[in-house]
Amino acid sequence: MAKLKLQVNGESHELEASETALLLDALREGLGMTGTKRGCETSHCGACTVLLDGMAVHSCVVLAARCEGKEIATVEGLAQDGELNELQRLFLKHGALQCGYCTPGMLMAATALLRRNPKPTLEEIKVGLDGNLCRCTGYTGIFEAIQACAVGAK
Amino acid sequence: MEIKLFRPHSLEEALSQRAQYGKDALPLAGGQSLLVMLRNKLIDPQVLLDLEPLGELRGLQARANGVSIGAMTTFFDLLYSSDVQNAAPILAQAAAKVGSTAIRNLGTIGGNLCHNEPGADLPPALLALNASVELRSRKGTRKVPLTEFFRGYFETAVEAEEILSRVEIPTLPKGARGAYIKHAITPEDLAIAGVAVVLVPDGKNPVSASELRIGLGGVAPVPLRALKAEAALNGTALTDEAIGAAAEIAASEAEPMSDPHASAEYRRKMIKVLMRRALAAAIEGGERNGHGKA
Repeated sequence: MAKLKLQVNGESHELEASETALLLDALREGLGMTGTKRGCETSHCGACTVLLDGMAVHSCVVLAARCEGKEIATVEGLAQDGELNELQRLFLKHGALQCGYCTPGMLMAATALLRRNPKPTLEEIKVGLDGNLCRCTGYTGIFEAIQACAVGAK
Repeated sequence: MEIKLFRPHSLEEALSQRAQYGKDALPLAGGQSLLVMLRNKLIDPQVLLDLEPLGELRGLQARANGVSIGAMTTFFDLLYSSDVQNAAPILAQAAAKVGSTAIRNLGTIGGNLCHNEPGADLPPALLALNASVELRSRKGTRKVPLTEFFRGYFETAVEAEEILSRVEIPTLPKGARGAYIKHAITPEDLAIAGVAVVLVPDGKNPVSASELRIGLGGVAPVPLRALKAEAALNGTALTDEAIGAAAEIAASEAEPMSDPHASAEYRRKMIKVLMRRALAAAIEGGERNGHGKA
């Protein structure tokens, strides 16, 4: 076992985990932050997407030990003071979710995309979300929500 | 037994640990394949040797004779590097087609080569670029041409005490053009077949090539150069007939496998299609097919 210090959504957390613990397990089991979803665990589905120093990564294929000293952002950090952020509100408005299981990953992948590229084209949105599967919506609502967010970007 | 994680501070330290543990210490690059294999219990190392702390292994250096790329350079780095765009644009094309955004953000060129999974995108492009790799151990450094690097399914020339440190790409001949084209069920998949072409047009009409290199991926136990097809096209006019005949030769050079994604026969047919498209794209100086991820 090893002691880990992780910076998640701007807050410092300490936990004990095996040396080769995955970031996904450190977040969910170690810190009880279950917003990040456990999906395929083979880096295909994207349900576990979080941001590592602003880059979208699949937390099922990242060692938690590698994340020390880096900034981790999860879906729990999007809402501020109990208020959903604009992207989350637009997901609701455009029906960008049904079962909701992929939604935390979708939101984080979209957040990474919009930070790098505030006004992405539809094609760029598709590439930005190419690591995230949704089996309910057919993606249309998700793309619309992100496009609406991009239109609102200053 | 719990796996140990070593995070060495220098390449020297990493090479000492590799020498001490041999094949029981697996170098961990981007982890995008290795951690999945670990989860599925396909590998059983005592030690993971994390190469991420070794900043010396990440990044590109443009040199007079080519580009030198550190093994820990990510697909993302390759995609957005002006040095790669200038010196080896088909490497950027191939990097753009690897997996998904999240995988490209962490996956590395060194990991991609050492994993040697059939259908990987970088090997055909790097073969067509005449790349070689630098393998380091405590005993010294050796340079291995990529044509001698791939040994079998998931097997490479890397010895138990070695770490792949750099990939070297020689400067392309003046006027060289290229394309990497991949066929897959979805863009995130490994290639059912992948064809990379580099050619140097000689200015004649119809165009012929003073130099032509063809790299194939996903269609044999290891990525390979289609040397017979290259020879057939060398110096001849690149007409549809000549390309079609060479594509037949390339298909016969492959030794495709059947798996749930595609039969061997289908893979052989796809080589012919992709080779025609890749050559056409290279002759035009750009890329046609791209799954939208050019």
